[in-house]
Amino acid sequence: MPPAYKLIFMTKQSDSGSRNTATLATTPAPPARLASKHLLGIEGLNPLEINALIDRGDMFADLIQEEQPITPPLSEVLKGRTVLNLFFENSTRTRVSFELAAKNLGGSVLNINVAGSSVKKGETLLDTATTLNAMHPHILVVRHNCSGAAQLLSQHVDAAVINAGDGRHEHPTQALLDALTIKRRVGRIEGLKIAICGDIANSRVARSNIHLLSTLGAEIRLVCPATLLPDAVDAMGVEIHTNLEQGIEGVDIVMMLRLQTERMEGTETPSQREYFNMFGLDRRKLMRAAPDALIMHPGPMNRGVEIDSATADDVEKSLIRTQVEIGVAARMACLEALATKEGAA
Amino acid sequence: MTDLLLHNARLIDPARGIDATGHIAVTDGVITAAGTGEPDKASMKAVAQSVDCGGACLAPGLVDMRVQTSDPGAEHLEDLATLLHAAAAGGITSIVALPDARPVIDDASMIDSLSLRATRIDGARLFLYGAATTGLQGKAMAELGMMAEAGAVGFANGTRTIMDSLVMRRLLSYCGMLDKPLVQHCEDHALTAGSEMNESETSTRLGLIGAPAAAEAMVIDRDLHLVRMTGARYHAAHISTRDAVDSIRRAKDEGLAVTADTAPPYFMLNELSVSTYDTAFKLAPPLRSEDDREAIIEGIADGTIDAIASDHIAVDGDAKAQPFGPAQPGASGIDTLLALALSLVHRERISMLRAMECLSLAPASILDIDGGALIEGAAADLVLFDPSASWVVRAADFASNSRITPFEGLPVQGRVRSSWVGGMPVFTRS
Repeated sequence: MPPAYKLIFMTKQSDSGSRNTATLATTPAPPARLASKHLLGIEGLNPLEINALIDRGDMFADLIQEEQPITPPLSEVLKGRTVLNLFFENSTRTRVSFELAAKNLGGSVLNINVAGSSVKKGETLLDTATTLNAMHPHILVVRHNCSGAAQLLSQHVDAAVINAGDGRHEHPTQALLDALTIKRRVGRIEGLKIAICGDIANSRVARSNIHLLSTLGAEIRLVCPATLLPDAVDAMGVEIHTNLEQGIEGVDIVMMLRLQTERMEGTETPSQREYFNMFGLDRRKLMRAAPDALIMHPGPMNRGVEIDSATADDVEKSLIRTQVEIGVAARMACLEALATKEGAA
Repeated sequence: MTDLLLHNARLIDPARGIDATGHIAVTDGVITAAGTGEPDKASMKAVAQSVDCGGACLAPGLVDMRVQTSDPGAEHLEDLATLLHAAAAGGITSIVALPDARPVIDDASMIDSLSLRATRIDGARLFLYGAATTGLQGKAMAELGMMAEAGAVGFANGTRTIMDSLVMRRLLSYCGMLDKPLVQHCEDHALTAGSEMNESETSTRLGLIGAPAAAEAMVIDRDLHLVRMTGARYHAAHISTRDAVDSIRRAKDEGLAVTADTAPPYFMLNELSVSTYDTAFKLAPPLRSEDDREAIIEGIADGTIDAIASDHIAVDGDAKAQPFGPAQPGASGIDTLLALALSLVHRERISMLRAMECLSLAPASILDIDGGALIEGAAADLVLFDPSASWVVRAADFASNSRITPFEGLPVQGRVRSSWVGGMPVFTRS
């Protein structure tokens, strides 16, 4: 539905972000600068760094969305540099998104197919890191099923490491693209009521979004079955609900998470049928949210489990496709920030 | 105006702590007045039916929170209609059935269909526990949310303890979310594997394999740690040992949302009954020591044990006509529940009010169902009984089709005269 896209982008508001947008029109946001050499998580980034990445991503999103060619100097930011996509877990959207982002900036991209690699032959993560390091990549984009794997790698390679999802820990670029998507549509993040709903316990997206959105002043509610609620999560400054309709009462954004059905053994939640019945988003439950509430989902969706198709595909309310499109812009901002730093170093 | 007036009764209302001469007026199935003394004459005139109770006890109908239904699956032993009629004859106006039917009640549609069938039977009301785990296997959580929506009052795993601590933790979290109690049969199955009776000098003498009493408290103690983590409502079913009573007492002192029930065999009998190898005394949990029996009575008296349930099950006679070891555990209970509980009153171990609280108010409040209160606006679920009328337990005379009892030949006192469910008479002794 390409027309729907256009519609969504044309309705992009420019009031709050008004200052940013206005600035953008005259002087584009500069490349973001990060204190760290790596991007391992949102926790630890300060609001200035987060905003710099979002504002720069906003500029890239304008270019992409206006289908403008990316020209020098932007198209040469990663010129002569190698970005290595190292995915130990299956991924389509994140891997392709990073690949596109790196190519837009002129980098050369290598995708390591872990399924057919030496990892399957028993090589340890650190041996893989040492081996890859010897090939002198500039940026390593890593996804791994173990929390902390990106950090471990970052301690053993010379390249800058971007965490593309580590276990249940963090998925920082997803949170950045989510925030950028919200900001472009609503115009602000501060003061928004945002419900993050679903498999919180197993979600790195939830953790990164909690850090990012609360740092930028949103009010976060978590909605999930008691069995998928991690211990002491209220210490992260969120409001907890175990009833979807109550949890999304009056919220501006309903962010649904994917139920990790492949990991379901029937003890965390009884069945997909019951999950949808109690925690699946449909039009009836969505009526409890604010009238102009928007729906997000990091994908891939389980239709009929955490969200029904009518809601997911609602062009007026669903930002799910937009999230994917914005992902490239957000990742360009991240790659550029690390490349700039590395270049400066 | 008033459909039914019951007066000159010994009114026993555990909710208000009333044990005094009084009356109850019922209109449209609901109690419209319940007070001490005689009703005023003005209201007497407009009465369709007036019953002089002659000083007999008038109390809330019994709520039996632990009954095993043989329907569906073994209707030849006892079907829903005979069960609910027999319950009414025993003064029980609400039965809460365990999920151990065939098929197991682990699906919302079964809750729905059994509840619907019960409405067509003029007897006790039927409430249902949903199975906590699919097929009572103790592994995968059943669809508790959908069963709760269909009316399940709580969740239980029958006579199979949920041994897996992670499954138990998640069940407690989930039940807490649904605000439903989780009812645990407390037995460490690993420790009791192959057991035939309580482990003691008696089991040694009889050459029967013993189940240690500690197997009960061990499960409760583990569960209490999980209750602390989850804040869920936890109910220990048919407890039978001193250690279990002590554990529950400590949990209550600590303020945890923990409740417990026991069944008449555990305050009436001890393991010595097994000495003749009579399989009517084979129960689950097994009959315990005299010290345990004493502790159960103390627990009932001091409120550690909240409720008394019948633990009724229809056992196939052939399954009992076996050597003690392979015989099926369990016995009939709904015919004798009231009289056996009253034996504690006659022996002056507990008051009449406390007995009726254990039999109605406590189980009703544990499960959030109506019952146990003779107050205006409550459903007129009532029992009228002669507390001192004596009779001898004869299984052959039971209203229930389940005719195996460990109390055969026991003289008891306390007999139901009539019971009403929603103001409608469901039993009257001729």
